Amino acid sequence: MKTTVVPFGPQHPVLPEPLVLDLILQDEKVVDAIPTIGYIHRGLEMMVERVEYTEMGFVVERICGICSFMHGMGYCVSLESIMGVEIPERAAWLRLIWAEISRIQSHLLWLGLGADAFGFENLFMHCWRMREEILDIFEKTTGGRIIHSVNRIGGVKRDMSDTELAAILVQLQDLGKEFKKTAHVFGTDPSINHRLGGVGILSMEDAAAVDCVGPMARASGLAVDTRLAGKNYYDRIEFEPMVETAGDCLARVVVRMREIEQSIDIIRQAIEKMPKGDDQALEIRPRGNPQGEVFTRLEQPRGEVLYYVKANGTKNLERFRARTPTFANIPAMIKLVKGSDLADVPNIILTIDPCISCTER
Amino acid sequence: MDSATFLAKVGEYQKGGWRLALINVTTVMAPTAPKHGAAANEEDPDEPTTPAAEAPGVFEIAWAFAKGSDLELIREQITVGDAVPSISEFFGAAFLYENEIRELFGINVTGLNLDLQGQLYQTATKIPFSHQAVKARLAATAAAALAATTAPAAGAAGPAATAASEKNA
Repeated sequence: MKTTVVPFGPQHPVLPEPLVLDLILQDEKVVDAIPTIGYIHRGLEMMVERVEYTEMGFVVERICGICSFMHGMGYCVSLESIMGVEIPERAAWLRLIWAEISRIQSHLLWLGLGADAFGFENLFMHCWRMREEILDIFEKTTGGRIIHSVNRIGGVKRDMSDTELAAILVQLQDLGKEFKKTAHVFGTDPSINHRLGGVGILSMEDAAAVDCVGPMARASGLAVDTRLAGKNYYDRIEFEPMVETAGDCLARVVVRMREIEQSIDIIRQAIEKMPKGDDQALEIRPRGNPQGEVFTRLEQPRGEVLYYVKANGTKNLERFRARTPTFANIPAMIKLVKGSDLADVPNIILTIDPCISCTER
Repeated sequence: MDSATFLAKVGEYQKGGWRLALINVTTVMAPTAPKHGAAANEEDPDEPTTPAAEAPGVFEIAWAFAKGSDLELIREQITVGDAVPSISEFFGAAFLYENEIRELFGINVTGLNLDLQGQLYQTATKIPFSHQAVKARLAATAAAALAATTAPAAGAAGPAATAASEKNA
């Protein structure tokens, strides 16, 4: 049979980020896919050579505009671990709340992009309209809609008053009720089911074999979630990872929809459990320069992110490495694309929620 | 590194249900040449040390494996040109990390199950974390810092010199 090579990307309507897959086709079936990234590689890890560690956090949170808060948090947690700093309790709760708000906005953004990709434009608009409300919360509480800059090594820069937190919870719970209607459409619409159901199936065994992370792994039945380790106050929250077993594109949509509702509940628990009062310490400033190394793992919206930080007692770190969830999920994406129909490739790629910006740190 | 022992260790992690979380490399900019084996334990203050510029380039490689909340490492230190065996026969996702460390650090990874032929990243600097590239950047940063400290001093001397010449006039 004649073999055809179709380049997917670096510019494609469903993926406004530069990723290239050379799709090797026999008839309409993809038999192999060769990835190329690096079109926008920014060398942020190289910047540790000339940017001081106190300023590097502001660079790290610019790895990605969607996971900005959690990149900043991961960097600060790493340095706090090396320097032996225990941040104030209220600061830890605030970080957890902002992290879960980030998860909601990321999933809403992705659901919108997904809807747009399979041709359901008003569903896309509903998802992004709801996401705007989340960005409003970010703007109100951090001053920034995309880049927040509230994380500091040793705590957080800004507080949320108790009345503000109560209002945010009401707003999120109202949004949760509204989102149920949108989730109902995703779950029951025949055209969505036709486009996503049974497409791009990743079995539990395959997901484990390619070291999948995040909603991608959970949609294939793997109950992996870095939050279960209980760090960063997640040990004080009652939650279970959202797991589906079908492993197809629709299961990956369902996991993310359920995680939006779960994040609202986690925020509720955090607000109830955090110490009350607006006059509490938010930051403990460490002294001196860091020395040592650490591996830090966090559960970002797209899955586990892993930071390696090595410090040598100077103002500049010796090494900083961020392994983002998209990087970890690229092998799974290649596995899924092989054997699929060419027409399903865009949806399959989109359902891993690829963030090339993160990968091209 | 002893490839057989290393691969046996990796195989144990795979059998134990661990997940490959990261392969990380650090370019070691050691002040003196590293010593190996028995020489590493010898203390001889009279022995001349090799300047950094002549020392062989050293990389630290860490293979990180995750299982639940646990993270374990296999660490190896290699010199430039040493071969590192691929672990993609045990962990299917390893090829991406291995192509990356080959392109960004110039590490010679052998036995890759998917060789991307240097096309994974489109970097402006070829092998940006090689010892030569890191040294060149550090030297440039140091030179820029020196220039920044001397420039304001010259600027400060300017008005003072002007004032002195006005006074003399």
